[in-house]
Amino acid sequence: MRYVALIGDQEREVELTELAAGRYQLSMNGRTLQLDARHVSDTTLSLIWDQQAFNVELEAAPNGKGENILVRGHVVNVEVLDLRTLRLRRAQEVKAVHDGPAEVTAPMPGKVVDVLVRDGQEVNEGQGLIVVEAMKMENELRSPRAGVVRDLRVRKGDTVEGGVSLCVVG
Amino acid sequence: MAPTRRFKKVLIANRGEIAVRVARTLREMDIVPVAVYSEPDRIAPHVRVCFEAQPIGPAPARESYLDVERVLDAARRAGVDAIHPGYGFLSENAAFAAAVHDAGLVFIGPPPAAMRIMGSKTGARARMKEAGVPVVPGSGGPLATLEEVRAVAVELGYPVLLKASAGGGGKGMRLVHDDAGLESAFRSARSEAKSAFGDDTVYLEKAIVNPRHVEIQVFSGNDARTVWLGERECSMQRRHQKVIEETPCVAIDEAIRARMGEVACRAAEAVGYVGAGTVEFLLDEQRNFYFLEMNTRLQVEHPVTELCCGVDLVEAQVRVAQGEPLPWRQETIVRRGHAIEARIYAEDPSRNFMPAPGRIEDLLLPQGPGVRVDCGVASGFVVPQFYDPMIAKVCAWGEDRERARRRLVRALSETAVKGITTNNVFLRRLLESEPFVRGAYHTGTIAELQAHGEAEVPAELIDVAVLAGVVNAHRRDLRAARTHALKDEQQAAGWRSQGWRRGGG
Repeated sequence: MRYVALIGDQEREVELTELAAGRYQLSMNGRTLQLDARHVSDTTLSLIWDQQAFNVELEAAPNGKGENILVRGHVVNVEVLDLRTLRLRRAQEVKAVHDGPAEVTAPMPGKVVDVLVRDGQEVNEGQGLIVVEAMKMENELRSPRAGVVRDLRVRKGDTVEGGVSLCVVG
Repeated sequence: MAPTRRFKKVLIANRGEIAVRVARTLREMDIVPVAVYSEPDRIAPHVRVCFEAQPIGPAPARESYLDVERVLDAARRAGVDAIHPGYGFLSENAAFAAAVHDAGLVFIGPPPAAMRIMGSKTGARARMKEAGVPVVPGSGGPLATLEEVRAVAVELGYPVLLKASAGGGGKGMRLVHDDAGLESAFRSARSEAKSAFGDDTVYLEKAIVNPRHVEIQVFSGNDARTVWLGERECSMQRRHQKVIEETPCVAIDEAIRARMGEVACRAAEAVGYVGAGTVEFLLDEQRNFYFLEMNTRLQVEHPVTELCCGVDLVEAQVRVAQGEPLPWRQETIVRRGHAIEARIYAEDPSRNFMPAPGRIEDLLLPQGPGVRVDCGVASGFVVPQFYDPMIAKVCAWGEDRERARRRLVRALSETAVKGITTNNVFLRRLLESEPFVRGAYHTGTIAELQAHGEAEVPAELIDVAVLAGVVNAHRRDLRAARTHALKDEQQAAGWRSQGWRRGGG
């Protein structure tokens, strides 16, 4: 099986062959290596590679992009796709428009304790827009760019879910 | 002095790791621990570690853990002898303590009068000054208008610190560098104080530049005799929230330590204190120390004191509340080694430390020599968005500071909270940072370190992560293929059986 691993802006092709249960041959960056990899649970792997042992903990990245992989105290975000999925995604990707409107979303579930702007108001980059309280902390959401506030969807006192759109600055 | 009695049942008016911690000691003392829980906390660990549990209302703290009547009702229903308030919530609420007494129960904490004096920061400052305890120059009283605030700020000279009179934990606190920033700081400090403590009174203090935050653990008996159990250095703070604490403090010598201890005992005795308390000091670069405030409760970071002194502060709280004498004399308190605590918060350092509540899919806690974990969450529990994001404390004890530090780094690298984002990696970065390793840090150090970006991951570990990710993806694909094949088979079988039935029926 051929896979592509995305690590930040890096991309690596890896070919995997299962030799026996838990034993793999992999080629990565022109290197071919043998790996003994056992799932201890759905989210824990024990790897032995060239006599070195690694305990690896995996969790779905909270932003939905691949997995956060914890190894020896470091966390690496890795998204693994097969080649077909990668090509499909590339084809669908729309070129990002730099000066397009920017959506302001709730970073976590919480309560809107203040709305500092009106619909139609002109704002500067970094200007405070909406204050959301969660876990006893007030967090001021600032404008990602200069522009005009549109589609203001919340009022003081509203409860919001994480990820929902609060307004657009365009 | 109160006659000695024996508690059979104690209500813990709190949640999270501190409720779990108090319950453990109660169980060891053969006292039945009674939990209270809000709706989202039904399966929280603090409910599961207790022997009885009482619901106290919906998720918002104001309608549950902060509701005096509901907590008292729960205590009456359970028929407890006493209430342990933990920290936060109602722990420093003198009216609550008085209401507990009025209900014929024991409040495991100081007398309401002492709480009242120390609870008003301005009142406390005045009383401490009288008692000869050094205080930071400041307004000396609450300030109601912007004009008053401006006048005092000019008199003290910038930078100044705006603080909530009822405050704690950095809530409602603002550092103001100049006149231009004063108005917005005044407004936001008041609104934050109002929402956190229900009281928007603020006062002003001269800001001490790059201070260390050093506090003394004191303990007063029913006869007001007070001992101190060493200090805790809590300067590793992010926006006035403590992140890493240790004892002893490397910045002070035995002479300053003894003077601070003596002054702290004097502070407690001046207000007729009883029980566990903490006297916080600011230490400036010339090693002058100033009274900051007294926390009239158990502190979050009390475990480092317990590790170095070999004591159980909660047990002592319960014994003193039962009317027993203090379990120690000053001479019997011996500190040994070094202890460091790291607080694990459900927050995302890469997104400006936004709280990151959510469901914990799996939880791996460290073990081994010299490690202590106080944890308020468990696998399968949804960390609610309504309460403090601090979910666990990991402490390490070592014979000396470097041993304790390395041990804590090791322990944190064994720790994983899957499903939600935490500050675990950030904590290890702090513990490995040059200022922390040298012990040369102050309350502004974390902010300075944050300006220096992320730690690099060694190339070999990136390779390992990629390999693990690919092996995991392969397993996932195989499983998916197997499920598909199974479904196809079942579908085919279903058609066949339907056909057979139709044919035979």
